[in-house]
Amino acid sequence: MVAAGETIILELKRIRVVLIIMLGLLLLLGTLLFDIQVSRSQEYEASLHKQSLRRIRLPAPRGRIFDRNKICLADNQPCYCLAFNLEDIRQAGKWKKTVAEVQRRIGELNGLMGRKAIISEEDIWLHIRRRLPLPLVAWRSLDQAALARLLESSVDMTGVDIYVEPNRAYPENELAAHLLGYVGKTDFSDEDLAGFQYYLPEMEGKMGLERKFNEVMVGKPGERLVRIDASGFKHAERLVRAPKPGANVILAIDGRIQALAESVIKDVPGAVVVMDPNNGDVLALASSPTFSPNQLVPVLPKTLWEQLNSDPAKPMLNKAVAEVYAPGSIFKPVTALAALNSGVISAGFSVDCPGYFMIGNKAMKCWNPNGHGRVDLRRGIEQSCNVYFITLGLKCGNEAVSDMAKLVGLGEKTGIELDREASGIVPTPEWKQKYWHDQWRNGDTCNFAIGQGALSVTPLQMAVVAATLANGGEVFRPRLVLGVQDAEGNALTNYPVTSVRRLPLVPGVMQAVRRGMHDVVMAPTGTGGRARIPGIEMAGKTGTAEYGEKADRKKHGWMILFAPYDKPRYAVAMVVDDAVSGGLTVGPRLHDLMMGIFEVKETLKEADG
Amino acid sequence: MKEFLHQLRLLRRMNWVMLLVIISLIIVGVCFIYSATSMREDSTTDLYVKQIKWAVVGLVCYFGTTLWDYRRLRDVSWLFYVMAVILLVAVLFFGTRIYGAKRWLMFMGVGVQPSEIGKLAVILLGACLLSPAAEKYGRLPSMWWLFLLAGVPMLLVMKEPDLGSALVYLPVVMAMLFVAGARAKPLVMLVASGVLAVVLVLAAVALPERLGMTPDHQEAFFRTIRLSDYQRDRIEVFLHPGKDPMGTGWNKRQSEIAVGSGGLRGKGFLNGTQNNLGFLPRTVAPTDFIFAVIMEEMGFMGAMVVLSLYGVLVVCGLYAAMVACDKMGRILCVGIVMMVFTHAFVNMAMTIGVLPVVGIPLPLVSYGGTFMVISLFALGLIQSVYVRRSGL
Repeated sequence: MVAAGETIILELKRIRVVLIIMLGLLLLLGTLLFDIQVSRSQEYEASLHKQSLRRIRLPAPRGRIFDRNKICLADNQPCYCLAFNLEDIRQAGKWKKTVAEVQRRIGELNGLMGRKAIISEEDIWLHIRRRLPLPLVAWRSLDQAALARLLESSVDMTGVDIYVEPNRAYPENELAAHLLGYVGKTDFSDEDLAGFQYYLPEMEGKMGLERKFNEVMVGKPGERLVRIDASGFKHAERLVRAPKPGANVILAIDGRIQALAESVIKDVPGAVVVMDPNNGDVLALASSPTFSPNQLVPVLPKTLWEQLNSDPAKPMLNKAVAEVYAPGSIFKPVTALAALNSGVISAGFSVDCPGYFMIGNKAMKCWNPNGHGRVDLRRGIEQSCNVYFITLGLKCGNEAVSDMAKLVGLGEKTGIELDREASGIVPTPEWKQKYWHDQWRNGDTCNFAIGQGALSVTPLQMAVVAATLANGGEVFRPRLVLGVQDAEGNALTNYPVTSVRRLPLVPGVMQAVRRGMHDVVMAPTGTGGRARIPGIEMAGKTGTAEYGEKADRKKHGWMILFAPYDKPRYAVAMVVDDAVSGGLTVGPRLHDLMMGIFEVKETLKEADG
Repeated sequence: MKEFLHQLRLLRRMNWVMLLVIISLIIVGVCFIYSATSMREDSTTDLYVKQIKWAVVGLVCYFGTTLWDYRRLRDVSWLFYVMAVILLVAVLFFGTRIYGAKRWLMFMGVGVQPSEIGKLAVILLGACLLSPAAEKYGRLPSMWWLFLLAGVPMLLVMKEPDLGSALVYLPVVMAMLFVAGARAKPLVMLVASGVLAVVLVLAAVALPERLGMTPDHQEAFFRTIRLSDYQRDRIEVFLHPGKDPMGTGWNKRQSEIAVGSGGLRGKGFLNGTQNNLGFLPRTVAPTDFIFAVIMEEMGFMGAMVVLSLYGVLVVCGLYAAMVACDKMGRILCVGIVMMVFTHAFVNMAMTIGVLPVVGIPLPLVSYGGTFMVISLFALGLIQSVYVRRSGL
């Protein structure tokens, strides 16, 4: 047993060794803990605070859009919202209780204001999980009545805040809808939100100038730091960077002319463009039918969107720039310029019109089956005699005509700041070979000379042609935007007047064509006589072009116009669908438009003076 | 009846300090599991309630094993061992995979971790092997047997894979051999070679160039020693704390911030921001990282209380070993104390970032049913040794 006794002593000794090692290790752990938790506590505290700071992205007020007279076309209007601050409503215990309390209060306030909250139980949960320090918006766009009822009531308002969200609004409703476009909720990219834990809804342009100028109007988002306490609630907050408001966009559009333009085509599908021929300013650009952007903000209702897009009249399409038409007879002044300038004829050149023109064995009819008799250039334009212009076209050749068409800006985009601008087509033998796999024939030249065939143009392009004819040969780039100004009204960017080119015309050519156009409106027999207004001399050209199925006999009615004749200030192009003819359908509408414009002019003069 | 009264008298001889410490640790655990999950909305039954239920089951086992004579282990330890090995094999085939490792067996909706049972089985078997029935001391041919027998469950646990749990076997077996009277020299050499191996692995992860290893060599080396990618990541994170703070290093980094920001007094119960805001991942906050929650909310003071409780537990356990009436009792106590201590130490050291992250729970405190029951079962055995101490 001695041996056994010795081993027991050894075992006990070794147990003590084990004990000492264990206690030593625990002591070591305690020392390390002291080092971390007490000695270096500050260091960790700091990194903790850095962690519990949350950055919130603050939307900047969106820039506004004005017309040339500083009438606001796209504005920000306060939208009154009612929101819950969950830190004030938080119930002790589980979140379930808080959610129930929020729902109870929603029910109470629903009854009081007579409006249903826009959030469901799931939204509340989502808010708690994702966006706790932000206000939980339960009602949007409250009207005065609801607000008044709320403020007069004795209902418990702790934790309920009325707060204002900027909302895009279009004060003139449909006015210039196609130009302005509309806004929708921003689809943030990951890059936009990098470093931000929270963000508030922002608006971005989805169409028209709202989209084209989104960058300048959107401003710079601000930043607010919120410190979150242990339970995830807002503890302290600090505005790090105030949002920088977006810049305002000033349009060349004259709101009153725009309103007139829209009113004269509102009952018929079509488009009208009014330009200042002296600088290319777009004073009005309207497309019909139209839409109200106010119905599309802040949230685009899905049914409305589908309805707008499935409507065969295409209300969302800006026909003034995105639709192409055969110009018909309003192209004839271009043919005349080409023929005169090429020198193959002079203004005195005359043709005998029997009412048709024979190409080979095919007769091309003049619109007057009885024939116009002997016509020279002036009368040819006034009467819009097809035979005369077919003769001119054949004499100078299709190349001279297509060159002139391109010089006045047809067949290419004007570069206006609008969506989906079409370029139109100026047909050439190469073009026909490429797309129709056929060679150019005399018949093509005949069609081309009278604005038919493959030739297609946009109303805006025809307005540029009208402006060029009005100012005597200067092709301007349409200027829709005059400039961009910051919120205080300081100019940031000015868009200069841009002349694309001066037409290389032989002296006297332009004068001859203009004289013919003068007679179109002013002569007793002129095709555009219905546009005439008292006291102002005007010039123009009507046109009628068939479209669609031949059996339907549908026609586009066209007219271009400029006024006053001597010193033109307005150049107009208008097209309407399903017209009887340019002179009959468009003429009276332009009459109304010009009446309005020249009344406008008087008031403008006063304003300028 | 007489027998029963005798049993009750045994209970009176129990080490009450140890029981008090155990219950204190369980209460601390339940409180901070509540804190760690108080912001959770997703669980229908709260984890802390489950933990209380497990603690009750565990305490029943505890009193049961206290009353049971540990000397009868000789009859059942082999059976227990074989069962544990079968379970460990079964888990490899039928185990439920959680976070990439098969560690759980489901019995009627209750998850069981066989690796925890395996640890206890090895301790029980070891206590029997190292204390021959005939009081014949001296050379210990069974020492190598023990290594072999411990090696089987250890390898099976490594296969799950659960390297952390597997490594716990080593100090436990070492301590038992040491106290059993194994010669110190081979043990020291074993420890030394173990340390060398760890250093080699760390060096291979961190400084392959120094060892003259090309990346190809490195890969081959890791394949040979079967170091998985996630284990490698954890080691790298441990060696380079700044590396990848959002990925693999996340738990460690957040745990350190939680601990560090606790300060002397902590932020107060239920007020730990790291925990509540979900910086400490919710899956680990009530389990392996519960100590981080405690330190954040109760600070250095609270941590010292927990540390002291383990200290007292270790003293009580080893005191039971000293007063045990036979060698088996001594070795049994040492083995169990070592198991609890290793878990506690490694878990706390990992929480404060001085050891790499391994999935080892804090005994009696971390959420987890199997380990709670096993721990109480084992601690009950210590009491069983204590109540039958010499001088009865």
